Amino acid sequence: MAELVGAFASSHAPLMARAWESVDPLRLGSIKKTFAEMGRRFREANPDVLVVLTPDHWVNFFMDNMPSVCIGVGETHESPPEPWMKGLPFKSPWQGDPELGLYLAEQAFEKGFEPTLSYHLEMDHGVAIPLWRMGLASLPRIVPIIVNTVEPPLISVRRCIDWGRFLREAIESYPQKLRVALMATGGLSHSIGEADMGRIDEPFDMECVEHFRSGDIASLVSFLERKVESAGNGAAEVRNWVMAHSAVQGRGFDLIGYHPYPEWYVGCAFATWNFR
Amino acid sequence: MRDYWVSKLFFDMQQPQAAEEYRANRDKVLDRYPLKPEMRQAIVSDDVATLAKVVNPYLLRFFYVAIGKPESWFLERISKTAQSKEAVHG
Repeated sequence: MAELVGAFASSHAPLMARAWESVDPLRLGSIKKTFAEMGRRFREANPDVLVVLTPDHWVNFFMDNMPSVCIGVGETHESPPEPWMKGLPFKSPWQGDPELGLYLAEQAFEKGFEPTLSYHLEMDHGVAIPLWRMGLASLPRIVPIIVNTVEPPLISVRRCIDWGRFLREAIESYPQKLRVALMATGGLSHSIGEADMGRIDEPFDMECVEHFRSGDIASLVSFLERKVESAGNGAAEVRNWVMAHSAVQGRGFDLIGYHPYPEWYVGCAFATWNFR
Repeated sequence: MRDYWVSKLFFDMQQPQAAEEYRANRDKVLDRYPLKPEMRQAIVSDDVATLAKVVNPYLLRFFYVAIGKPESWFLERISKTAQSKEAVHG
């Protein structure tokens, strides 16, 4: 049977690619240490497959068809199309795991979820930046699960809890012997293209982290339902963190680093869950 | 409420070749989209406040990056949309 061997969460501020050197050496060094620790824990988990919970930044989907949740079941995925991601060391194609992807999709329908499926996805910066900056030498097979957190109406936080529980059960019921990790990307507070673009809401971020740490899922949901909209449109991506958090039953949240760098517009946060 | 064709234009401009064509011949590109006259005017005049009301904020930002507007230029204009809201709400 497959085993969940790790759960990770990472911000993916585009300026971590476009303007990596725009912060001073001290703070850059600090976030490099955070990424290095993320990478160390990732290598320690040694997953065969990474299920990535991530938004789509208007790369794969447009208003013609905007799925709430889409599971990538392709044999391969394309690397990021953004021109400013050219420095990425992972070239196309990235290997997928269509068997696991389809299994998750089939189980989802069996359990009362209705994801869309895609056999061909481009992995935008939301997936690529964390993997890049963690310093991985190579990528495991990837099953992307794209969660619409950019164009309302958005999936509810409560439904993300349901999805997380489902994912854990589905992964652990997969009949192949496989080491599977989860990675949630995005968040925490940030505002893009809005009137308050550049605002980082550190009180929100800290409270959010405390709710993750507490393991009290009901209070996390209540907090986010009340506050997430006020933390900028980018904060909506915390839904991916909620899914991962629910998948590990709220256990063992460990903040590795918090870097609210105004140059990058994002309250950048990085965490793992020590749930085993 | 979103404006589909303004959104579609901004979405398409993420392609570097499309953005290059826009910069070289804006009217030719705009002619391919059935834009409402007031929306076309908003685009031509860089009326960020009007456009912000009808497109996704990410697309709005991507568009101005794609056509080469400096970040400071965009930040100055988008921040004013908050001031206009405050003025309306008194």
